[in-house]
Amino acid sequence: MADYREAPLATRPRTLDPNDYFNLSPEKRRADEERAALRANLKRQYQTQLNNPHRKELIEDPALTRWVYARSNPYPHFRPTFKTSLLGFACGVFPLFALYYIFKTDRVR
Amino acid sequence: MSKIQQTAVNMAGVGFRKWAQALTKSKGTGISALLSGCRAASGGSKGSLPGSYPTTPEEKAAAAKKYNIRVEDYEPYPDKGEGFGDYPKLPDRSQHERDPWYKWDHPDLRRNWGEPMHWDFDMYIRNRVDTSPSPVDWISMCKQLFGFIGFMLFMFYIGEKFPSYQPVAPKQYPYNNLYLEKGGDPEKQPEEVKNYGI
Repeated sequence: MADYREAPLATRPRTLDPNDYFNLSPEKRRADEERAALRANLKRQYQTQLNNPHRKELIEDPALTRWVYARSNPYPHFRPTFKTSLLGFACGVFPLFALYYIFKTDRVR
Repeated sequence: MSKIQQTAVNMAGVGFRKWAQALTKSKGTGISALLSGCRAASGGSKGSLPGSYPTTPEEKAAAAKKYNIRVEDYEPYPDKGEGFGDYPKLPDRSQHERDPWYKWDHPDLRRNWGEPMHWDFDMYIRNRVDTSPSPVDWISMCKQLFGFIGFMLFMFYIGEKFPSYQPVAPKQYPYNNLYLEKGGDPEKQPEEVKNYGI
């Protein structure tokens, strides 16, 4: 298993990950603790709202709201660059003309 | 209109505007001056929605705080005009990889409340794309798949080149090759046709 090569875009199993064995340091430990503190804070907020006996409404998740907002409003941050305009042409303009041509020639035949 | 009348009209207009502003205590003009100057306390605050790409370290820190990420962990998508804004670039890991035994707030999504969601979260749910480590390594997977496909293609190619059929012969009919049915003379004795051999 020493020459295990993971699939591209997939992860390596934890037991074969060298970072778990070699790159441990107090900074990493501190970072993990900070992340755990953030997570605990969010957990506390959620549990408070969940177990509130006077709560009648849905618990709103701001992270979800932000995600939905970000996904549905990309245009304010859009800038026409080479790559984006190329993509736009490939997906929007080229199929239009290609399909028109294909259908026209197919129908004539 | 005379000058005095004009100034009177102007003052009346100014007076109405000022009255409306005083009523609503807002500094806006036009329609917004007439609507209520207070926002409701429900819902998220104004600074909680995603914004534009952060350029200064203060903006980065504010964005990290907004998304509940450590400042060192916060990495926005590179500003290539692709529409991401300041949304954080989280590691491309599917929800399959998360601990199945931890008490998540949403167990089916393996996510806690308030946790920042990956941009492609709906792709990485447990019904869809899986990035967890494969049980067999990549090289042997490739070898098995392409070996099988190559072998099948090769065999089909050979089959095209050297086809083999069941042996056939012209169909044999009884009654002396159907002498009477083919319009033979019933009085005449047909020649004996033997279609078998013992």
